[in-house]
Amino acid sequence: MSEFKKFDQKSWVKTNLNYRKDSGSWAWILHRITGIALIGYLFMHIYSLSPLSQGREAFNEFMSHYTTPFFMAMEWFLFAFVLFHSLNGIRIVLVDWADGARYHKSLYRYSIVIGVVMFFAMGYVMFSHEIHNLLK
Amino acid sequence: MYKHQNSRGSGSFSWVFQRITGLILVVVIIGHYILMHYTPESGHTYDAVLARMQSNWYRILDLTFVVLAMYHGLNGVWGIFRDYKLKSWQTITIIGFLIVFGLAFTLWGMKTILDIPYVQTTSGL
Repeated sequence: MSEFKKFDQKSWVKTNLNYRKDSGSWAWILHRITGIALIGYLFMHIYSLSPLSQGREAFNEFMSHYTTPFFMAMEWFLFAFVLFHSLNGIRIVLVDWADGARYHKSLYRYSIVIGVVMFFAMGYVMFSHEIHNLLK
Repeated sequence: MYKHQNSRGSGSFSWVFQRITGLILVVVIIGHYILMHYTPESGHTYDAVLARMQSNWYRILDLTFVVLAMYHGLNGVWGIFRDYKLKSWQTITIIGFLIVFGLAFTLWGMKTILDIPYVQTTSGL
């Protein structure tokens, strides 16, 4: 008689993955993932800056590991996480406080565009010295 | 009968504060990123940090940044846990864990900032 499928607790992961997702669902998922990554990074950041207390040599020695091209690229990709969480955070605030539920989908599209632009702008800031050295 | 109809005491303060801290952090973190990567030295050498930390305003900004980011981050983690049905012992364990680790790392970060010495400099920076 019942046309509703009984909720199967064992396959809830599969159910959630198969659920049709619009921009709002992706925003929610990515906001969590980027948020968890950023708080994890904050703990690492506090740990990795603690050699500041040991003076100049210790700190510069420690930091030399983080100025390699690999870590610089990782720092750039981290900015993508920062940007998504920031711009989607603004979107959340607008939805909550500025009637954004009416325009949250276009907000999502705008924040992706703004985010991509800001990502490459930050790439230029971070790598401008390398770029200038290459062009010299 | 209407006593429990307002939202006070149900986490509404942390909901508002999460948004306020978030808006502050957006501005501060993007500024932080630009400043720390403006030159290859500005964020990755002791002397650049030492020069900045001669200003008490800078120390206050960084201390505020650590505290707000840690609060916002751990309140967000708690928000994720709160989506699931938790038994009270689980709630107590998770909140205890977040508070202990959050406080420890916040104090560690604050100590790192405050340990940087004040030095006599001839030039401004």
